[in-house]
Amino acid sequence: MKHISIILLAWMSIFQAGGTLYACKNAQISLFSTAPIEDIAAKTSSGTSVYNPATGDLVFGVAITTFKFPKALMQEHFNSDYLESDKYPRATFKGKIQEHPDLTKDGTYPVTAVGELDVHNVKQTRTIPGTLTVNNGVLTLTSEFMVKCVDHHITIPRLVFHNIAESIKMNVSATYTAVK
Amino acid sequence: MKKHIALLAIIALSLNVKAQQTDTKKGNSAADSLMNLMGVDEKPVPVAIFKSTRLVLSQTTEMVKRNNLNFEVIHRFGDIAGSNGGPQTAFGIDRVNDVFFGFEYGVSDNFNVDLGRSTIGQLVQLELKWAVLHQTTNGSSPIAITLVGEIGAKPYGAFPTFSSRLSHLMQAIFARKFSPGFALQVAPTYVRDNTPFPILPGNEQSFFAMQASARIKLTNHSGVIFDYAHPFSAFRNNTDTFQDPMGFGYEVETGGHVFTVNITNANSVAEMNMLSNSQQRFSKGQYRIGFTISRMFDFNPRAKKEEKKY
Repeated sequence: MKHISIILLAWMSIFQAGGTLYACKNAQISLFSTAPIEDIAAKTSSGTSVYNPATGDLVFGVAITTFKFPKALMQEHFNSDYLESDKYPRATFKGKIQEHPDLTKDGTYPVTAVGELDVHNVKQTRTIPGTLTVNNGVLTLTSEFMVKCVDHHITIPRLVFHNIAESIKMNVSATYTAVK
Repeated sequence: MKKHIALLAIIALSLNVKAQQTDTKKGNSAADSLMNLMGVDEKPVPVAIFKSTRLVLSQTTEMVKRNNLNFEVIHRFGDIAGSNGGPQTAFGIDRVNDVFFGFEYGVSDNFNVDLGRSTIGQLVQLELKWAVLHQTTNGSSPIAITLVGEIGAKPYGAFPTFSSRLSHLMQAIFARKFSPGFALQVAPTYVRDNTPFPILPGNEQSFFAMQASARIKLTNHSGVIFDYAHPFSAFRNNTDTFQDPMGFGYEVETGGHVFTVNITNANSVAEMNMLSNSQQRFSKGQYRIGFTISRMFDFNPRAKKEEKKY
């Protein structure tokens, strides 16, 4: 009886250790578009992300309405005309980090995430490069990638063609802590 | 003691197994399910019900944001048909019945100070506009309410005293975006003309009115708008010549501009003029082309600096 309980407890603790998840509730995501007439930039620090080193699973999510623009009107049009946040409130990425860096060692590791990027309710399979930094058990993931408006059925009318670029540069930075 | 430990372990294990089962049932990974737990704290934000602060005849619940200036030019041309219209006046384009210049400034996101000037009566008006309630994305507030107070003066013409040059308007605008494609608003209004307008025997100094408007989205950048107003004025309703103002138009937004082309029987743009004195009839060909151009200027000092930081 004693043995069984000890074995069970030990097995459970192993199971728990193997499933350590890393979470981030304030991922910074910014977008930048440069076009002949004006540059457009917006930023949010309300992105959420979960990383499971055991499986490589990486999930990102952000509410479109949390993006802040310096110009109020741009923010309104971003939500109503282009991303249609009333219909499609979130953008997400679900994928796997291909590499399995040793999280017990401090260092900077180049990584690649392969998965589905869902923006404006259109899913695109993407391979996105990034950098994973380990520092005393705290993980920081940064990435820069481009999102093409046409890929996600975001149409830019000819009238404002010179104001908005066809490809938007995204910058993501997330700092993770282990979830016990 | 031993028994208790064993029991606890078994319970804990069975809970764990159960948790895993529900996970696999949903087809979610552990990361997914934790993500779902985290993504629930989205803050509700105000819904943009209309594209602009003005439809054909009435103002909307939309506000000019802080440190933004909205410049408007609103035209009403001459009669398209009837005795004053037709090809001789290029269907009314030759005549300009009313031109309105408006400046709307956002003191805050919820409080605007507006100045306007009309051709009709050379009316100069000051307006205060206050957004009391916004419709929110999560439905915690189903409607938007905006209060409008206007005071207008006719600086020219023969008036016995200064106060007899003044008109006032008070309005509560209630609007709701029922779906991404359809928005509706009603606006109970009180109009007070210190000198009844037009000056006719028996005309009232003050009366209530109701305005109703709707917008139907065509594309993400354009829509059609409808406007109707009815003054609850015994004098106006019992006199044959007065007519309820009505209008419809096509609206297109191009970034910082909103253009509206409309057709209405109302001659005047300013609401106190339009509600007080609307004597044109569709049946007599007394309807006209009108247009509204509005341009938003952003004076936020942070706009340029912050862009560099990103």
